[in-house]
Amino acid sequence: MSFTAMGQTAPRKSLKEVKIEGQTVTKQTVTPAQKVSAADFKRTASNNVADAIRNLSGVNIKDYGGIGGLKTVSVRSLGANHTGVFYDGIPMNDAQNGQVDLGRLSLNNLEEIVLYNGQPDVLLLPARAYASASILLVKPSKPVVTYEKPTQVTVGFKTGSFGLFEPMLQVNQLISSKWSFKANAYNTHANGRYKYQVEGDGSTDKIDRKNTDINAFQTDAAIYYADRDSSNFSFRANYYKSERGLPGAVVFYNDYAAQRLWNEDIFVQSGYEKKWRNSMQLLLSTKLSQSYTRYLDPDHLNIQGELDQRYKQKEYYLSAAVSGRPFDGLEVSYAADGAVNQLKTNLYQFAYPTRLTVLQVLAGKYTTGRSKFQANLLHTSVSEWVDEGAAAPPRSVFSPTLMYSVEPFDGAGLQLRAFYKDIFRNPTFNDLYYTRIGSVNLKPEYVKQFNAGATWSKNYAGRLSYLTLTADAYYNNIKDKIIAVPNKDIFSWSMSNLGKVEVQGVDFSAKTKYQVNDRWAALLSVNYTYQHAIDKTNPQSTVYGGQIPYTPEHTGAMNAGLTNGIVGVYFNHILSSHRYYLSENLPVYEVPGFSVSDASFTWMFKLSGLPVLSSVEVNNLFNTNYAFIRSFPMPGRSVRLSLKVTI
Amino acid sequence: MKQFKLNNLFFALAIATVFSSCSKDNSISPELREDGPGLFILSEGLFNANNSSLTYYNVGANVTVADKFSVRNGRGLGDTGNDIGVYGSKMYIVVNASNTVEVVDSRSAISLKQIPFVNGATGRQPRYIVFDKNKAYVSSYDGTVAVIDTTSLAIEKYITVGRNPERMAIANGKLYVANSGGLDYPNYDNTVSVVDLNSLTESKKITVTANPRGVYADQYGDVYILSSGDYASVLPAMAIIDSKTDAVTKTIANFSAAGMSINGDNAYITGSVYDTDFNAVPFVKVFNVKTEIVTNEQFITDQTVIANPYGVNVNPATGDVFVTDAKDYKTNGTVFCFGSNGVKKYSLTTGINPNTVVFVNK
Repeated sequence: MSFTAMGQTAPRKSLKEVKIEGQTVTKQTVTPAQKVSAADFKRTASNNVADAIRNLSGVNIKDYGGIGGLKTVSVRSLGANHTGVFYDGIPMNDAQNGQVDLGRLSLNNLEEIVLYNGQPDVLLLPARAYASASILLVKPSKPVVTYEKPTQVTVGFKTGSFGLFEPMLQVNQLISSKWSFKANAYNTHANGRYKYQVEGDGSTDKIDRKNTDINAFQTDAAIYYADRDSSNFSFRANYYKSERGLPGAVVFYNDYAAQRLWNEDIFVQSGYEKKWRNSMQLLLSTKLSQSYTRYLDPDHLNIQGELDQRYKQKEYYLSAAVSGRPFDGLEVSYAADGAVNQLKTNLYQFAYPTRLTVLQVLAGKYTTGRSKFQANLLHTSVSEWVDEGAAAPPRSVFSPTLMYSVEPFDGAGLQLRAFYKDIFRNPTFNDLYYTRIGSVNLKPEYVKQFNAGATWSKNYAGRLSYLTLTADAYYNNIKDKIIAVPNKDIFSWSMSNLGKVEVQGVDFSAKTKYQVNDRWAALLSVNYTYQHAIDKTNPQSTVYGGQIPYTPEHTGAMNAGLTNGIVGVYFNHILSSHRYYLSENLPVYEVPGFSVSDASFTWMFKLSGLPVLSSVEVNNLFNTNYAFIRSFPMPGRSVRLSLKVTI
Repeated sequence: MKQFKLNNLFFALAIATVFSSCSKDNSISPELREDGPGLFILSEGLFNANNSSLTYYNVGANVTVADKFSVRNGRGLGDTGNDIGVYGSKMYIVVNASNTVEVVDSRSAISLKQIPFVNGATGRQPRYIVFDKNKAYVSSYDGTVAVIDTTSLAIEKYITVGRNPERMAIANGKLYVANSGGLDYPNYDNTVSVVDLNSLTESKKITVTANPRGVYADQYGDVYILSSGDYASVLPAMAIIDSKTDAVTKTIANFSAAGMSINGDNAYITGSVYDTDFNAVPFVKVFNVKTEIVTNEQFITDQTVIANPYGVNVNPATGDVFVTDAKDYKTNGTVFCFGSNGVKKYSLTTGINPNTVVFVNK
């Protein structure tokens, strides 16, 4: 089963099948996988994809705070550029920065989010799904329609703190027995204001974060075709437009902020999957995307009196994958992806780069008895052209992956797994070509990942419905890490491959459900991560052997809830040990650890016969002063109300 | 007394005190140990990290106070302390991104006034400070030089100069201001403004090599201008201006420096040159301002290695030469004290990016 196929199933027979409480049992996969389903979004009081995955093991959120603040994740201390993000089975790619702002991915339209360490363990995938150290699959929900009710419209809104007002509209339409359609649109409008305490400037009163407003509009529409089990097709168009203020870092004695950011992104993508009786399968994916960013500093002290930078990226993407089972137990696949990326800006003497990336992967999976062996070899070829200056030299890299899992005992629910993956991230356009800073001779940043772990999962007939435990230990070795180093003087930095990092870590998770009585069920999940991520760059340096910046040794998350299927009450708690904001692990460069709670309440009821889903979510319940990133304070207590009516 | 929140700075101070207590001279009173004559090192910290700091060192008592400004005032210096100067009993710290000039008592470092450098709500981005006849002159990136009365600490006037002014020096009753145009890459400014200190207006502009940043005056009325060039075709250079005629008398091409300090006839110049593999080769050299030639290419005569020389200052009372080492610009720096013979006397750990050493000799 490919994950494009997962998004394309035949119309559901009955509305009753729409599960309110998500299926949360961990998947038995060869690589560690963690899933967050739509029902979990409310349980964790989440408002975007970054929030929704903050509880997961091995995930380190970098949240710059507030409703419009940048949110990225670093999985297992590798940095945001090493996580590939897929939307409905097709990669989202930012060739300029190499990272996707997960704060901009709304939960309005999503069914589930799955994070794989290494890669997904199914074979029929675009080659790019093999090409990152971890893969985050963001899966939009399918049309929910029946023959009895071919049209379903949901209207809703969210409101609450930050001056938030977000109306949304969703339309599900059954076109024929094989075709269905879904469209979704929302508009987020917020002043984003919140109070925070400046630490260290001698002030005692909280002040308002300034220039925090956001106005964002997104619409997503998809048409689906499903012909029983033999072929699926989907076509999707997505448009996002926003304007926001950038509050910037908190600077002592000067809280003025006036910088603005505009984004306008559009993409269209399509997937086609065909299954033949002889077990052959074909998966075709294609995407065209354009993203436009404008940054304005209206007070820049240059001749123009402002700094107005514009960036336009385009991507043309095409992927074909085939898989088959030549004999029992063996599945093989081959996938080839081609992508062309372009970046244009109004920067002086900019290179105007064009990149052609061709990825090819040959993969095999062999199942015998209780064991599964999986291996693949990825070949990446990158060629670049520029309008000005020198282009990066072409690259050709082979990247192997080996995976193994075994269920040592029949029916015991125990699975042991291990993987080794050799992968890299290519330098971004900014790394290579940013005026005066980029260096075209940068090599890729290589990562070797080793992982060994176990999942134990058991379903019970009694009150304890299920219990799932997972534990993984890993070792990551990063070489040629791309870092900025001074060149000539402090006004002139350049990118170089100087960094070396070693990461040893442990991920642990537990999840259970307990049926209190006929109506009420209690849910509990706990996650813990240990990360020892050490700078190994230069033994002569004072930072050698120190924990890399913004990497807590210990992070934990707990979610507990009680629900009867109509009403649910949930409590979420995350904690992080202290971190350092600089490579030097000195007390003065410490960012304190934190412990933050959220709570939510959901209630489903009927209004004039129409089903209504309502919720109250409270983030930072105890109004804790904290920050993920130093000088970017997180908001205190905030409340969000949401209401959805389905007609 | 304002509530004090910098617990980790307290911790750093405690450590500094423990280390220094090993060798302190108990005959000196506690007050003199921490507030006696000594030197202050300004460290910029990192941009947008609010971690500028002021390290105090009492040479006689061998006592260090890390981040003395925070310790004494219960608040941090702020973001990117760019320059520091001592005039009379007051010390002035120019804090670029916080848009302030902090005026403190030069012995205790206790705040006397925080002068905001804003134009309406927008920061002016103050850069450097010099003093003359009870006035302080502060250059700001908004193209002005502010005139501060050193008694009232009020800003009396803003003098309009060129684009993004940097360092200044005073010679022959005139103020020389380097107009860098540093925010207009690649269209840098290439002028030095001459400000008449009687009328407090710009009287002329002198053309020099693009991107002038450094301005230093000697005892003979000559003004030395260090230009950084445009990082492409225009190489760094040093121009020498005769303040009597305001003419450029000499230009030394391909002359690059991070810092310069003149004491008598000797100008100590430090920085790094880059070899063909972009490896930094640090240097400290001596230039004779009377003969206008480099008299010593290798000032340091012992085995001391400075990774990334960032600034140089000479103590006029002792002739000791202080060179700051910014290392990788991201970790705590070091300041090295050399005797005039180029032999290291001692070194101290500072904050990040130490740029200037000032001396409170009495």
